[in-house]
Amino acid sequence: MSPLLSRILVVYAILFLAWFAFPGGVVAWMDDHNRSGWLDAPRAFAGALDSASSAIGVKQVGEKLRATLAVWLEGDQG
Amino acid sequence: MLFPTIEFSFFFSASLALIWALNPWNIVKKYALLALSLFFYASWDWRFLALLFASGAISYFVGLYVEGDKPGRRAVLALGVALDLGILCYFKYLDFFIAQAMNLANSLGLSLPLGFVNVTLPVAISFLTFHAISYIIDVSRGRLKASRSPVDVLLYISFFPHLVAGPIVRAHEFLPQLASPRRATDFAFGENMALILGGLFKKMVIANYLSVRFVDPVFTDPSQFSRFDLIMGVYAYAIQIYADFSAYTDIAIGVAGLLGYRFPQNFNQPYRALGIGDFWRRWHMTLSNWLRDYLYIPLGGNRHGTLMTARNLMLTMGLGGLWHGANWTFLIWGALHGAALVVDHGYRRSAFYQNVGRRAWVVPFDGLVTFHFVCFCWLFFRAPSLDAASAYLSGIVTDNGQPNTMPMVVWPLLAAGALTQVLPPDFRARLGGALDRAGWPAQVAFGAAAMFAVLAMAPSASAPFIYFQF
Repeated sequence: MSPLLSRILVVYAILFLAWFAFPGGVVAWMDDHNRSGWLDAPRAFAGALDSASSAIGVKQVGEKLRATLAVWLEGDQG
Repeated sequence: MLFPTIEFSFFFSASLALIWALNPWNIVKKYALLALSLFFYASWDWRFLALLFASGAISYFVGLYVEGDKPGRRAVLALGVALDLGILCYFKYLDFFIAQAMNLANSLGLSLPLGFVNVTLPVAISFLTFHAISYIIDVSRGRLKASRSPVDVLLYISFFPHLVAGPIVRAHEFLPQLASPRRATDFAFGENMALILGGLFKKMVIANYLSVRFVDPVFTDPSQFSRFDLIMGVYAYAIQIYADFSAYTDIAIGVAGLLGYRFPQNFNQPYRALGIGDFWRRWHMTLSNWLRDYLYIPLGGNRHGTLMTARNLMLTMGLGGLWHGANWTFLIWGALHGAALVVDHGYRRSAFYQNVGRRAWVVPFDGLVTFHFVCFCWLFFRAPSLDAASAYLSGIVTDNGQPNTMPMVVWPLLAAGALTQVLPPDFRARLGGALDRAGWPAQVAFGAAAMFAVLAMAPSASAPFIYFQF
């Protein structure tokens, strides 16, 4: 594999892992933008990824961490 | 389409593969880059594509004519600059000038038959104008040859990473990069990844939370806050605007870098500056260089004595302030910086500075005074009106009788912002080099962990970048 191709694949791997860790955002975005059905196929893939992430517990870890940090970042008073 | 959004991540993912796949066919790749850039711009409002084409056409034809020694080329250059500025003024300043004329007429008891044009301000119009003017002036000065390719000129003006909020890339820096396919070595992976990930953290965590949790409420109604809160609000805004704007240009530089194109640096730890002159060599460096080359030096620079230098500095910074928006607060912000540059210019040349000001124990005071002056000026920059700025200052003096309410979370956000100013200047290059030397598993692990951290902390919706409005 050429160094160029391997670097491009690294970028995609990082983006994919970020999506896998927080799949809910992409699903919600696709639902918002899929009124005419043009995103049906990617929406099905995003749903499958969401299920896979949920099945092994990654999604829950991300959501719990976000909720915990949100309490601290958005909730405290001076 | 904002950088830290799902839309942009899809757009960039598609662009990355497409552009490198087309790299061996340079002409096709340029058309693809242009199409992507136009799509990026059209995602805000497709109607303003006409502006891009108009600006590109002016630059292309004026550039061809002003090259060399043709008769009337100075007049054509002046016409080109006037057309570019005319477009900017129409969209950005016409209503402001109409309002001032009507106010003046009213105060004189006259009635002017004028009405507001009420046009929507096109995204990126200021940066687009800077690029267009820079191109035709550089061609007329012989700094670069006029491009024979309208695609190259339009792509220079509209290239999507810098289109909306800079950095301002000069034509002589960018056009040669379009001449041939990019090499694999132009793909500086480590440093560009560090720029993008660092930029996402600065924008989505530091700038967003400072804005939402503290700065926006404090500046919306300063009368509800104590002296301590108001003072901390100015510090918080100083960190917020740095984190916000430097994040945009870091991501822009990183995105362009991953596509194989190099952009100039735009920030260099500005709050470490020793003096206002030094600040402007570190803050929005591409704008400072633009103002220096196309405004300050043509006005005469520092070549005609102290008074003319002071006039030129005040004019340059006043217009630089007004460039940010049609509001008296921006003009005052620019005038304050202009006046400070005049003082700084004199101070750095004085016997006192040579004998005392350069001593080790004075240098920290130099930095502190500079930082606090910059913060004071940010108050005018952020306040929506002169009345609001006045109310804010008044609250600092009188305390408003309110309790301190600054959320605790502001402290670590300020500390994180301050940390960006004290890291070694070559930190990013060293981190990038280490990433480049590491194998792909370490690169993926580092990138994914950084993205995870940013996404875990980021708010569910990202506020627009501050410089979008300029």
